Amino acid sequence: MKAKRRVVTAVTPYKRRPTVRKIKPAIAPVVRRPPIERPAAEQPSNGAGAGTAAGGGSPVGPASASRAVAMHDLRSSDAAGDQGAAVALSVDLGRGLVLENPILVASGTFGYGTEYADVVQVQRLGAICCKGTTLRPRVGNPTPRVTETPAGMLNSIGLQNPGVDAVLAKYAETWAGWKVPVIVNVAGESIADYTEVARRLDGVPGVAGIELNISCPNVGRGGLQFAIDPEAAGAVTASVRRATDLPLLVKLSPNVADIRPIARAIEDAGADALTAINTLSGIAVAPTRQRPLLGNVYGGLSGPAVKPVGLRIVYEASQAVRIPIVAIGGVTELADVLDYLAVGAVAVQVGTAIFADPTLPVRLVDQLAAECRARGLSSYASLIGTALPKKAAAPSAKGVEYRP
Amino acid sequence: MRLAGAELIDSREILPGQWLQDYRAPEIVAGARAGQFVHVRTGDYSGLVLRRPFSFNTIDVASGTLSIHFRTIGRGTEWFTRLRPGDRVDMLGPLGRPFEVDPRSRHLLLVAGGLGIAGVRSLADEAIRDGRQVVLLFGGATARDVYPSSLLPDEVEYVVATDDGSVGHHGFVTELVEAYEAWADQAFACGPLPMLRSLAGLAATRRRRLGVASLGRKRGAGRPLPAGSAQARRKAFLQVSMEQNMGCAVGACLGCVVMDAKGAPQRVCREGPVFAADELEWETAWQ
Repeated sequence: MKAKRRVVTAVTPYKRRPTVRKIKPAIAPVVRRPPIERPAAEQPSNGAGAGTAAGGGSPVGPASASRAVAMHDLRSSDAAGDQGAAVALSVDLGRGLVLENPILVASGTFGYGTEYADVVQVQRLGAICCKGTTLRPRVGNPTPRVTETPAGMLNSIGLQNPGVDAVLAKYAETWAGWKVPVIVNVAGESIADYTEVARRLDGVPGVAGIELNISCPNVGRGGLQFAIDPEAAGAVTASVRRATDLPLLVKLSPNVADIRPIARAIEDAGADALTAINTLSGIAVAPTRQRPLLGNVYGGLSGPAVKPVGLRIVYEASQAVRIPIVAIGGVTELADVLDYLAVGAVAVQVGTAIFADPTLPVRLVDQLAAECRARGLSSYASLIGTALPKKAAAPSAKGVEYRP
Repeated sequence: MRLAGAELIDSREILPGQWLQDYRAPEIVAGARAGQFVHVRTGDYSGLVLRRPFSFNTIDVASGTLSIHFRTIGRGTEWFTRLRPGDRVDMLGPLGRPFEVDPRSRHLLLVAGGLGIAGVRSLADEAIRDGRQVVLLFGGATARDVYPSSLLPDEVEYVVATDDGSVGHHGFVTELVEAYEAWADQAFACGPLPMLRSLAGLAATRRRRLGVASLGRKRGAGRPLPAGSAQARRKAFLQVSMEQNMGCAVGACLGCVVMDAKGAPQRVCREGPVFAADELEWETAWQ
């Protein structure tokens, strides 16, 4: 890990230009349709037409640029306010991972992208994060593995998966034929495991990126030890970074005291983007009160209940790092997406809500475009970071701070 | 698998705490078979984030209606009891793999433990429509829990056992099986895990104990059938419908697994809920 002097000041995030890496895009460039010229009256107001949501314009860049846009672009609220005007929804997560829109589906909730194909227009998603994949097959945890909790659910799957080779053999060819990028979620027990999986994913057609799951709370040695320590998080990220040129996202755990040093360590180690948050560790008690409900005792809490925690982590991390942040945690409607964008996320993953409403992610794409149109925005970029402090706070030595 | 709205037609409490609801959902019913299930969304996402899986209790393609049978055990099922005729819910289905009846089977033995009746009830309709003879063995805790015979087709021979002897045989329903297992060509069961485990034990030793040959010489013919295939289930003497806490019900979340005989996890929602009994591992700790 390279040593790097860091001085976080008020102005740094907004003045620094993003580093432009000249690297072959991992996915085919998005073919953008020109804005469809139609009389305003004929336009569907919710942008239900397949091509209208993702329009022209440059992708929302890495986080610093987008936030710079956010600071200066609010004035242009009536520049492109026509009904049906194309809204730029594409987002660049770094290393050429350009998503057509900022709505992703979260790892573990969408399988390998094929399970929901009967009822969901999978190709319209921004990206798919597949089920956590390990080097060797894993059987997973004892059952029961899922249970509902107030406004959320606990899951303790235990990273059941057939192993990276079997996943690639079964799905890579399908993924390669898809327009939607597939980001493979990688889990492991050791740095060597993570690195080897990344090496095997490197260069495989159909794999658009890697999401490093260093924060699974449900297995004894599921990598959570990497997510709670800045040095370990940096080490595993750096090792994977050396093993692959794929775009690299690292998923943060909320089960830590202060996310900022960890996020910085991961950024310094060469990650292209952060994902936040993984589930919160919790347990449920069986109705008989004689034992914990889940077979593994511990589970990960997700759903609307965790959204405030997700917002807090994204809020803190987005002020600590310059790489883009993909938010996840309790997204169930457009307002949640807008909230996450406001605290500095450039894209949003939908997870638990898919179980109740499989078509929600695709609808959110349409609704986000419609919202931008209604506000007269030509790009959703100006929605990003609006709730962040106008001047970055001074670095704190006190750990987590809950500001009023 | 389709995602469609369903309109509640009728809702009634058939036993204390047990409800039977009829829904009109032509898109879901089309192509649905006994043993499959629907995954129904509650209208209260902010509190109840998961859909609820229900077996098809009856399927009527002609009228496009289906019925579900459930016990109120939590806030989700209570939410369903508050629905009124005309209310609409969101259904995902039909899901899972159905019961497979061998075309040569004439005598079907259905075994239901408590609410397990919901899992095998539709098979009775299907079998009688195909001209088969059906015996339904039902086990409940007390007379209060016994499924009313008026809700079953007349052709079904209905035999009841209760744990306290308040009606029918005094004891477990599995004790009734001995009287019928030689008669039966195939058996289908749904209920609590101990009941299924005991039935699986009976089925595994059935041929040795009874000395019965398989129906027809070519049946099975000794060649292994691919595990989890429809043929494997069709050739099995006992098929069981499994229950497990469920998340997505389409195979994405891997929440609802049971272990097969080779120790590999099988998804109840996708590879099940109906399994051939000899495909599953019955001894270990999964529940």
